[in-house]
Amino acid sequence: MLGEFLHILAAATISWILFVTVDILFRLPEAGGVSGASAVARDIEAGGGALAGGTMMGNIVCSPDASAGTLLAACGVYVAGIPGGLAAALMVFIGNRICHDPGYAGTTGAVLATFVVYAFTQVGFAATDFIAGMVIAILTIQGLSHTHASRLLARLWRIRQ
Amino acid sequence: MIALYLVAAIAVFAAIRVVIERNTGRKLPYANVMNFAVAGTLVLLLDHPLSLVAAAAYFVGSTLEANAVASTYAGGVKR
Repeated sequence: MLGEFLHILAAATISWILFVTVDILFRLPEAGGVSGASAVARDIEAGGGALAGGTMMGNIVCSPDASAGTLLAACGVYVAGIPGGLAAALMVFIGNRICHDPGYAGTTGAVLATFVVYAFTQVGFAATDFIAGMVIAILTIQGLSHTHASRLLARLWRIRQ
Repeated sequence: MIALYLVAAIAVFAAIRVVIERNTGRKLPYANVMNFAVAGTLVLLLDHPLSLVAAAAYFVGSTLEANAVASTYAGGVKR
């Protein structure tokens, strides 16, 4: 029981690093993809957060990004192995097009996550650890403190620049 | 088994935060966490290839709704 809990925490850390890296490489904190993303960023900044981090959080809200890609890829690997993960990547891409977004971050994240999750299932992890891990990872960014999360993302974005 | 209960608990936690938060712009990231958690719960409950399609359809649909709410909140389409 403790072992499963530790696996979930490790999976959360891996998913966090994966999706934040892909999102920052694809310049999500740079500009709001739609006007709604900028509105979310403005409100987070008004609450004491950082604008670049808020913009990335707004973009995550408004279109499936690498975090959604990682979650659905983990779900795909759980139900059908690597083909399931790649099917999830295709659905993320369709979701991106529906949400008026080019979709490179989400699709890249899903394809990368498929292979990462599959590799970890070969060394004792379960795909379910990554489903729970990704939900914990998104909770730390979007669900605990917008002020602190946006400042952290803005700091990582400055390093990228 | 822990994964399922953990994800379901996060969904409830996020839903409570959505209700408590007063500012619309800051409500949406909490709703986003809830959507992640519900999509995860769906697949963890139903271990079937089609549950992936259901989770993806739910997730994309709810993201599109959040996108629409946020864009309307931002002032809608300027003509």
